[in-house]
Amino acid sequence: MITLARRWGSLAALLMVWEIAVVTRAVDPDFLPAVHTIAAALWDLVSAGEIWINLLASTYRALVGLAIGTAVGVAVGLLMATSRAANGFFGPLVAMTYSLPKASLVPLFILWFGIGDTTNMLTVFLATLLPVVVSTYHGVKAVPQVLVWSAQAMGTPRAQILRRILIPASLLSILTGMRIALGFSWVLTISAEMIAAKTGIGKLIFLYGENGSYAYMFAGILAIVAVAYAADRAMVWLMHAALHWHDSADLAGEH
Amino acid sequence: MQGVSHIRVERLTKHYESREGRVLALALIDLAVDEGEFVVIVGPSGCGKSTLLYILGGFLRPDTGVVEVAGRPVTAPGVDRGVVFQEYALFPWLTVAENIAYGLSTTGTPKGERAAVVERFVRMIGLEGFENRYPRELSGGMKQRVAIARTLAYDPQILLLDEPLGALDAQTREVMQDELLRIWDATKKTVVMVTHDVNEAVYLAQRVLVMSRRPGRMIDEFRVQVDRRQGREAVMLSDEFNGIRNKVWLAVRRQAVAAAR
Repeated sequence: MITLARRWGSLAALLMVWEIAVVTRAVDPDFLPAVHTIAAALWDLVSAGEIWINLLASTYRALVGLAIGTAVGVAVGLLMATSRAANGFFGPLVAMTYSLPKASLVPLFILWFGIGDTTNMLTVFLATLLPVVVSTYHGVKAVPQVLVWSAQAMGTPRAQILRRILIPASLLSILTGMRIALGFSWVLTISAEMIAAKTGIGKLIFLYGENGSYAYMFAGILAIVAVAYAADRAMVWLMHAALHWHDSADLAGEH
Repeated sequence: MQGVSHIRVERLTKHYESREGRVLALALIDLAVDEGEFVVIVGPSGCGKSTLLYILGGFLRPDTGVVEVAGRPVTAPGVDRGVVFQEYALFPWLTVAENIAYGLSTTGTPKGERAAVVERFVRMIGLEGFENRYPRELSGGMKQRVAIARTLAYDPQILLLDEPLGALDAQTREVMQDELLRIWDATKKTVVMVTHDVNEAVYLAQRVLVMSRRPGRMIDEFRVQVDRRQGREAVMLSDEFNGIRNKVWLAVRRQAVAAAR
């Protein structure tokens, strides 16, 4: 009960202040809908089925983009960390594109691929790729030299060092990169959908916002927040399961 | 085995690059270790004794000089030389049993025999019941015992020990020293150990080598002929032990003092 209060207390307090502020007209409901109005709008979207089809579209784009971004990101990160030539080739590209806001490329992708899944997924792919590349690279670089040496001393062939030593030793870093990428995948899906999709929660939020149906807009935001939160919890659970042996295993379950 | 050393190092030099430029770490090192001999190298910190051990392990290459094991030049790490590192270097994602079995899997011990070998070494280091624990659940002394067991399990002819007891408290350390002596007595492996603890060096070694401050050279050699069967107390209180200990201590201290100036 106490942990429940600690976990959700701040959120409940925020919603309560919000609701009271709007109901007492301290804040104009035309600018900020009351919490109960948003709840009603969400119920409306849920019972009409409108929310599900859009959630499905957004989740599909986010997770496919993430899956490809993660797979390529881990591969490139491992390559960069173990090959000087690969590091020389990819390093400048990563450094140049790391701080580029990937959403700014959406208009270009619309030009190339039109409006729809490909444009959305490509944006998510690019946004999730870099954090995974960077965290994988640094994870492998931080593996203590003596782990590799002791593996070699015990007869591990060079070709197996990556799989048997470097990947498990940098797993925390790799999975942390994936978790950050998972967060980015929702941000980029919603942003891209606003201008480059006919379906999806991003499109729904955008349309209701344009029409001034702010309660419905907030309902859409709430729905995607719930899905993103659940996905993050699942990721934390996965990290916990994969890293139960790790020094920081007790911490992986927090936040 | 008269005439042919198990380990032979001649006129070895090694530089490394640092911010201050090229630093000479080891200068013209000569070393010969007989088969079954227990040699301990002592020296002030930073004298390059660990570097020498890493070169014997095949992890680092010398700039010049000869490094041979069993008559063959050392060019890479090999399972003939088991290494125990200062920081244990256990694989944290493997259990105690899996860590000990690691070298068995790479050296071709049949799957069916591995469990028996692991069990034997777990019993030897007194960690029955901890087989399925991960390194993070073990104390420093337990980790060290697993690191030693892991190296002994695949039966290398040579043991290279890099301050293997450095992280242990004084009591555990003495227990582990006696354990090392017992293992050496039972297996008669060739041992080269590096430490900065003079008592430990004289207590364990048949021969103590003293290295100079950087650039490291071999400057002194002491043969230790004490009967270790009489037990720790008798050995450490004997005139013989203390005579050599004092000489080694003085030799190391002079180097350390000179290095500090």
